[in-house]
Amino acid sequence: MKETQLKILQYVSGIGLFFFVGAHLLVSHLSSGEPTTWESVSGRAASSGWLAFYILLLIFGIYHGLHGLRTIILEFSIPNTAVKVLNWAFVIVGMAIFGYAAYIPINAF
Amino acid sequence: MEANASGVEKRHLPNRLGVKGWVWAGRYTIERYLYTLHRLTGLGLLLYITLHLVMNGFRLSGAESWTDLMELFGSPGFKVGEYLVMAAFIFHALNGGRLILQHLGYTLGNPKPPVYPYVDSMRRRRPITWVILAVIVALAIYVLVEFVT
Repeated sequence: MKETQLKILQYVSGIGLFFFVGAHLLVSHLSSGEPTTWESVSGRAASSGWLAFYILLLIFGIYHGLHGLRTIILEFSIPNTAVKVLNWAFVIVGMAIFGYAAYIPINAF
Repeated sequence: MEANASGVEKRHLPNRLGVKGWVWAGRYTIERYLYTLHRLTGLGLLLYITLHLVMNGFRLSGAESWTDLMELFGSPGFKVGEYLVMAAFIFHALNGGRLILQHLGYTLGNPKPPVYPYVDSMRRRRPITWVILAVIVALAIYVLVEFVT
């Protein structure tokens, strides 16, 4: 993909995260009940809506975080071969994190 | 993109100052320091999310393990950390919104003839920066009050 397309995806994922992380923080950290008890967490885990929410949050979060880190690293002048290795490393790491992190809510569903 | 003899593509001007340039490279404007803070909060949030995902793995060990972990996170030290994460998110999200609007040209305003004394578009649109900063501070204070009460 072109760098401009990657950047547009960074903006789109950032806007998505604004709403998804905002909702997650409101529900899990600022709500007046007991959102982190086993019962509450299990209740949310049984909902298909929450499962879809967490999967989308993961996709946006992993892309936004890793692309941001890649942007920082690419500011340092590194050889083209290293850039290619870095790109593939980030793709593999991103997929591995997604696999591990998505397994948790899917397993609990 | 052309490549030089060492195989480094000319993606941008050479980064002569390295990490030091994030913090100080002369008379920076407020927006440049917001860039530094955006980067620091981004890296901090990335580190936190990594730990958060590892912590989520405790769900797989069952209710007892999860409850023990939540009791640990209820301690004052972790509460301070939790607030800092939320403050970092508020800053990163709202400043990110400002950057998106700016990068797409919406907050730069119309070009003007270069008449002395020169004022660049960033300075002409400085009130937008102050408004965003005011919203960030207000939200950070609101969340702090919610945490304390």
